[in-house]
Amino acid sequence: MNRKGNWLMGAWVAGVFSVLVGLTMISGRLSIRAEDPLKSPQLAELKEKLRLNPADEQIKQNVRQLDLQLRQRYFRQLSRMGSGIYLLLGGVAVFILAVKQSARCQKQLPMPQPRPDAPEQSERSAARARWSVAASGTLIGGLLFILTLSLSSALPRRMAEVEKTLGAGDATGAGEPHPTDQASASDAASPQELMQNWPCFRGPGGGGVSLLTNVPTAWDVKTGTGIAWKVPAPTSGFGSPIVWGDRVFLSGGDARKREVLCLDSKTGQILWRQTVADVAGAPAQPADVPESTGYAAATMATDGRRVYAFFANGDCAAFTLEGKPAWSKSFGALKNPYGHATSLTTWRDRLIVQLDQGDPEDNKSKLYALDGRTGQIVWQRPRKAGASWATPIVIEAAGKAQVITLAVPSIIAYAATDGTELWRVEGINGEITPSPVFAGGLLFVASPSEKLMAIRPDGQGDVTKTHVVWTSEDSVPDVTSPLSDGQLVFMLTTGGMLTCLDAKDGKKQWDHDFDMEFHASPSVAGGRLYLLSQKGTAFVVEAARQFRELFHTEMADGFHASPAFAPDKIFLRGLTNVWCLGPVAAKEKASGQP
Amino acid sequence: VLFALLAGVALAEQRFPPPDFESGHKLPVTLTPPARAILLQYLDVAVLAFCLGLGTWLVYKRRSRKGLMALSLFSLLYFGFWKKGCVCAIGSLQNVALGLSDHGYAVPIGVTAFYVLPLVFALFAGRTFCAAVCPHGALQDLVLLKPLKLPPWLEQALSVLPYIYLGAGVLFAATGSAFIICQYDPFVPIFRMSGRSLMVLSGAALLLLGVFVGRPYCRFLCPYGALLKLCAIVANLRVRVTPNLCTQCRLCEASCPFGAMREPETGPAGPQTLSIDRRRLAWMLVLVPVLLVGGGWLGSQFSAPATRLHPTVSLADQLVRAEGTPSKLSMLTPDDLALERARQAPKEILTEAAAIRRKFVIGGWIFGAWVGLVIGVKLISLSVRRRRTDYEPDRGDCFACARCFEYCPNELVRRGLMPAAAPAPGAAVTLTSRPAVVEGTTV
Repeated sequence: MNRKGNWLMGAWVAGVFSVLVGLTMISGRLSIRAEDPLKSPQLAELKEKLRLNPADEQIKQNVRQLDLQLRQRYFRQLSRMGSGIYLLLGGVAVFILAVKQSARCQKQLPMPQPRPDAPEQSERSAARARWSVAASGTLIGGLLFILTLSLSSALPRRMAEVEKTLGAGDATGAGEPHPTDQASASDAASPQELMQNWPCFRGPGGGGVSLLTNVPTAWDVKTGTGIAWKVPAPTSGFGSPIVWGDRVFLSGGDARKREVLCLDSKTGQILWRQTVADVAGAPAQPADVPESTGYAAATMATDGRRVYAFFANGDCAAFTLEGKPAWSKSFGALKNPYGHATSLTTWRDRLIVQLDQGDPEDNKSKLYALDGRTGQIVWQRPRKAGASWATPIVIEAAGKAQVITLAVPSIIAYAATDGTELWRVEGINGEITPSPVFAGGLLFVASPSEKLMAIRPDGQGDVTKTHVVWTSEDSVPDVTSPLSDGQLVFMLTTGGMLTCLDAKDGKKQWDHDFDMEFHASPSVAGGRLYLLSQKGTAFVVEAARQFRELFHTEMADGFHASPAFAPDKIFLRGLTNVWCLGPVAAKEKASGQP
Repeated sequence: VLFALLAGVALAEQRFPPPDFESGHKLPVTLTPPARAILLQYLDVAVLAFCLGLGTWLVYKRRSRKGLMALSLFSLLYFGFWKKGCVCAIGSLQNVALGLSDHGYAVPIGVTAFYVLPLVFALFAGRTFCAAVCPHGALQDLVLLKPLKLPPWLEQALSVLPYIYLGAGVLFAATGSAFIICQYDPFVPIFRMSGRSLMVLSGAALLLLGVFVGRPYCRFLCPYGALLKLCAIVANLRVRVTPNLCTQCRLCEASCPFGAMREPETGPAGPQTLSIDRRRLAWMLVLVPVLLVGGGWLGSQFSAPATRLHPTVSLADQLVRAEGTPSKLSMLTPDDLALERARQAPKEILTEAAAIRRKFVIGGWIFGAWVGLVIGVKLISLSVRRRRTDYEPDRGDCFACARCFEYCPNELVRRGLMPAAAPAPGAAVTLTSRPAVVEGTTV
């Protein structure tokens, strides 16, 4: 074979080799797309299921397993492609070299022919070039024009309109009433951030459910094992702690002084404490507040940008996370026989305040949504209800953000955007203290010591007859709130009876009598229930269809407040101490495993 | 080649959000890789200067195509694959534009040198940077296997694009929006073997085109090439097919795969033709201010959607869109996360966006006027007659690749590669005395 033939053969071999490697890599590339964990429909489906049933351990396990498998496959494929590309580059280089060499072997010099019509050709060519440049310019202009028309922007087009928008922003910032339909998501934490913290009474969603799995399961007060720190209660109050990042917030006080404290979650040291005093509009006469609940029974809330506190004398205050006062306002003396205990909650950058007081005929009860940045009232709705103590929750259901409130005789859902009443269910009685919870698409509401109702929150108007899925009268609590992971519902009575129901139909699965008094609501984390008795006994029970006590210990403290959860930690507010259960600081470094 | 580039996609999309750890696992902090050591930056500049000097010597003194090919291969490996295409002279113009418009932005010395050195060389010695130092050009030269000659009208129509791309690149860089020339560089993903699918495919498509059309990116897109072209037009040194005698055999015309060889004028134009030419030129001169104003207006209109490339304006846009819509509980997109993580108050974002828009409106006028000017000047340049007596490379369009040297029989004779008596291939050869090169314009 001659030299040219050799090069040609080389070009063929290298070309075929490159095509084969290329095809293999393209098929690999397509499979990478299919195995991209971000685009996996199975994973998305599982995650959606988990969102509906946040405490379902099986789903969590499946998510982890599938995620791991997808990632392993993805990276394996990626690594193969990484090696393959060098083979391909080599093949292509040889191909180019062989083709060039082969072309060189048969290279022949061109034989230009005379062009007698060169001047005319040149003229014609110049004329055509002018037209083509003009066409090119027209095309570019047209393209710019089409882009101008087709690329829409939500921002105003004209500078004057931008300035106008800014002007409106200024007015809002200056304290004018907030437009009712424009809650800002950007000035508050995202739902994901809220889920990772413990922003209000009973955590994100107010259901007492933590998505964390690495929370302590055992500790020993005597030896200090599993107790990260314990500090004497820096202030008095029954409100539960809330947690944002590495900060724990508490409110407390008495007739003389009301205050908000921020503790370092790692050490328990007070990072800042601010007194809430001289609130504009506060009544001259101090409020008559019963000692049994005190001034700080309401749990604080945070939207991730500010923390909010409410006191039984009607004072409401907001601080930045660093402790700088943001605003304060007084709702006046509250008429409540046991003292105000309804906790705060937030929706986006709005603070939801439920003030049920007096008797229904007093027409004093109201539900407020305040602008978290300024404290200005965004909307308020009068409520035909007497005093109540349950905390409202905000749920996303039927495509709407709903504020669920309880007070005799109704469960009422309001639109979080403007306070419009969406639906109501009649039929709750007594002193309404247990708060509602939402799990697995159902709302669980306890009418104290009477019945537990499961309600579908997607109706309109009075849905008493149509949307109550089931009711149960087994050991319904009168103080603590129910708890549900979407599959089971747990109730803990003041007398210590813990009952487990099937969330689907309300059928009792089991009950267990602890024979002691409980005021703190139960919580669930990592498939385990956490219960704190009034006299300081802590229990960890399996959240399952069979009762199994996993752990119990004496805490040498008394508990009315519900626990707050953070990665590796549980925060407890006792009557005498604030506790942080979890690995001690020195061990923290070793604890971070996925 | 296409396969090779598609394969590059394999390494392109490795970044996606981490898993949702619930166990408290703390993800390691993402570290920004340290900047290239200052000494190495100076070394890069020194290599660039050396290559430019060597390239100039090879083009003008040695007149060696082989030498240029070797240098070109070195540049491809060093500036392309080794340095992964960054810093490159093409992208550096954006740094300079941003540095000039934003006094808070300091252009690194190395980047400035990469911007200035090739231009300085082009001012004195034409496009020797394109000849053998630019890795983009080297890569395209490598894949040029079967060059086809483009029709002149198409070549002229496409030749305005680099100037427009240059204007757009400067507009977005000077307003701090984006370095679009880098973001949409078709060859950098190949040097890095990683990049967005779209860009890898664009690079693959350009290289595939480059098998038949010589250096399509350099000729019809490269914004830095547009600057080099402007400098090369006034360069002192210029590439000559032969320093001796031009026999007008037209072999050099066939040798240039980039359509840069210009033919000599056949004779003076007649009075009637001259009159038409003059009238046409007058119209073209009148057209220029119209194009400037019209283009400026169009550019100002384009500025509104163009601002969305700026991250702050994009954030403000999302903010306005997000107002009133319910928050999502499903997986957030990177855009959603950016919005959520933006700790600025909405008012601050909107104020900043408004200020950027103001800048863009001015920039849009300038950009639009520039587009109009480019079209106008191009039309004028196509309406004037150039006086040439020999076949010679166009000062601006010639990449100084030295291909034509090897085709010129007189050059071969001069270098002793061909006996003086041997007949040159092609048309009949008439040896004449060396003509004086006169370049000028007349109508």
